[in-house]
Amino acid sequence: MNLLEIKGISKIYGNVKALQNVDLEVKRGEWLAVMGPSGSGKTTMMNIIGCMDKPTEGAVILDGKDISKESARSLTATRREKIGLIFQQFHLIHYLTAVENIMVAQYYHSMPDEDEALRALDRVGLLERAKHLPSQLSGGEQQRVCIARALINYPMLILADEPTGNLDEANEGIVMDLFRQLHEEGSTIVVVTHDPEVAEEAQRTVVLEHGRVARIAYNVIAPPIIL
Amino acid sequence: MTRQAMYVKMITSSLLRRRSRMAVALLAVAVGATILSGLVTIYYDIPRQMGQEFRSYGANLIFIAPPGGDTSGEGVSEAAAAEALSYIPDSAVVGVAPYRYKSAKINEQPFMAAGTDLEGARKASPYWFVAGEWPQDDGFVLIGQEVADTVRLLPGSSFTLTGTDDGGESFSKDLQVSGVVQTGGSEEAFIFLSLSDFDAAIGGNGNYDVVECSISAPQAELEGIAAQISENVSGLTPRLVKRVTQSEGTVLTKLQALVFLVTAVVLVLTMICVATTMMAVVTERRKEIGLKKALGAPDRSIMQEFLGEGLFLGCVGGICGVFLGFAFAQIIGINVFSRSVSFQPLLIPLTIAASALITVLACAVPVRRAVEVDPAIVLRGE
Repeated sequence: MNLLEIKGISKIYGNVKALQNVDLEVKRGEWLAVMGPSGSGKTTMMNIIGCMDKPTEGAVILDGKDISKESARSLTATRREKIGLIFQQFHLIHYLTAVENIMVAQYYHSMPDEDEALRALDRVGLLERAKHLPSQLSGGEQQRVCIARALINYPMLILADEPTGNLDEANEGIVMDLFRQLHEEGSTIVVVTHDPEVAEEAQRTVVLEHGRVARIAYNVIAPPIIL
Repeated sequence: MTRQAMYVKMITSSLLRRRSRMAVALLAVAVGATILSGLVTIYYDIPRQMGQEFRSYGANLIFIAPPGGDTSGEGVSEAAAAEALSYIPDSAVVGVAPYRYKSAKINEQPFMAAGTDLEGARKASPYWFVAGEWPQDDGFVLIGQEVADTVRLLPGSSFTLTGTDDGGESFSKDLQVSGVVQTGGSEEAFIFLSLSDFDAAIGGNGNYDVVECSISAPQAELEGIAAQISENVSGLTPRLVKRVTQSEGTVLTKLQALVFLVTAVVLVLTMICVATTMMAVVTERRKEIGLKKALGAPDRSIMQEFLGEGLFLGCVGGICGVFLGFAFAQIIGINVFSRSVSFQPLLIPLTIAASALITVLACAVPVRRAVEVDPAIVLRGE
């Protein structure tokens, strides 16, 4: 069963066609990678899937509901309830500690729960760094906090934008291990990346070029999960 | 942790861990609150301060015998004067000088003798310049400069006051000049004796011709006192010395208007300063706002956070302003009016509330810009 269905979406900024008639389906529990050169429409697609923008044409059906015509307020609610975002630049709030950064996501979602936030940090191996400010954490540690924050509200879809783009090899390995673990637990993951090695970890890779789906590649190593 | 506790944690962490920027905003609020508190203190203290200054110009309320009626020509009785004075708050009374007048002669030169409470006259008419000393005992008098020039008397000189009393009998009393009065007015043609000397020499019916009062009160209050006395006390007529009370009222009104205007300008400047700082804060924190919106923060939450920060700054700035403002008012009071100002406890909640309100108003535009931040900026790497 599909969690996400994109049906013929286009996004036009003035004379620029960022996306043109794109179709895509993401099954529940699937790990999908989106690749493409700069200007291929990856970020635009991320924005639309992440409920931060709406397509000029076409429909985006998330969990059975068309979100392409929803109001900004409704999109915010959908984002809060159903999507976990992981960013290339981590985007932690610099004046809050690691655990508080996770609790911020809980605060906007429902109720802050420090114990649960600490368990999320423990899961990414950072329990002992809970009271540290982002400036006291390495890049890899910040990204792990970002992942813990994305997972804290049990999202239906984890959307990651270049999650290893700013990490060294060792930290990239740790983060990819976390993604594998999430995938094994049944999380639906969409990763936008430039890195073919990261894309290879996914079950399927969609390559965008000039705002269109140029090709789709299936990774034979990671078997698709069918629920 | 409750939502409220998390909200407070986010606001305080944001303020405390971004000290330099917030210190600028806090300084702006504190300076505004200081000037607001200080000027409002002065605004309400001006009538008291200036009232004291105006008392240098002499009596502003007099009691005279009522026109016509049974008591016409008999002056103001001591009882009526005492009853009238009971309508004036003791704290407002600067000086009271009752006068009895009778023509008398020195070396056959006619002058006007005035019997009065010399200590009261000294308080009621502080503008009198006395060459020599104020009389301390009976037998000593003040004479006007005109009298001194005419009969060539100096402080320390003795003379004999002669004349005819109310009963038609001649009187003669030896007196000594204690001081010579210069006022530039009609007082320079008078001889001022104590009431006991006056009664001993000239006698009379014991009533006063006029009672001069110097009252420290605004014009409206003074008019109210006069109206009360007029209504309730028979045997005298209160009269405001309009030359003094009206000019006092005019000057006070203008001064208060000036202070009010300066306060308003300072508040507007404070608001602009806080708004500019908060605008800079919003610009600086666009990415953080975008992140919060990307995490699903509704516009209401973003607004609450910024307004919460503004409110916190307003309250802390207001608390600083209350005390710094009083110090500011005290400095002005001492340096300008040579008197200390009194602390008004009501100013504490008023200043804090005004600072908080101004800060929240100043945050309105920056907050509006904050909720307009596009959450997608976190994905664009701006």
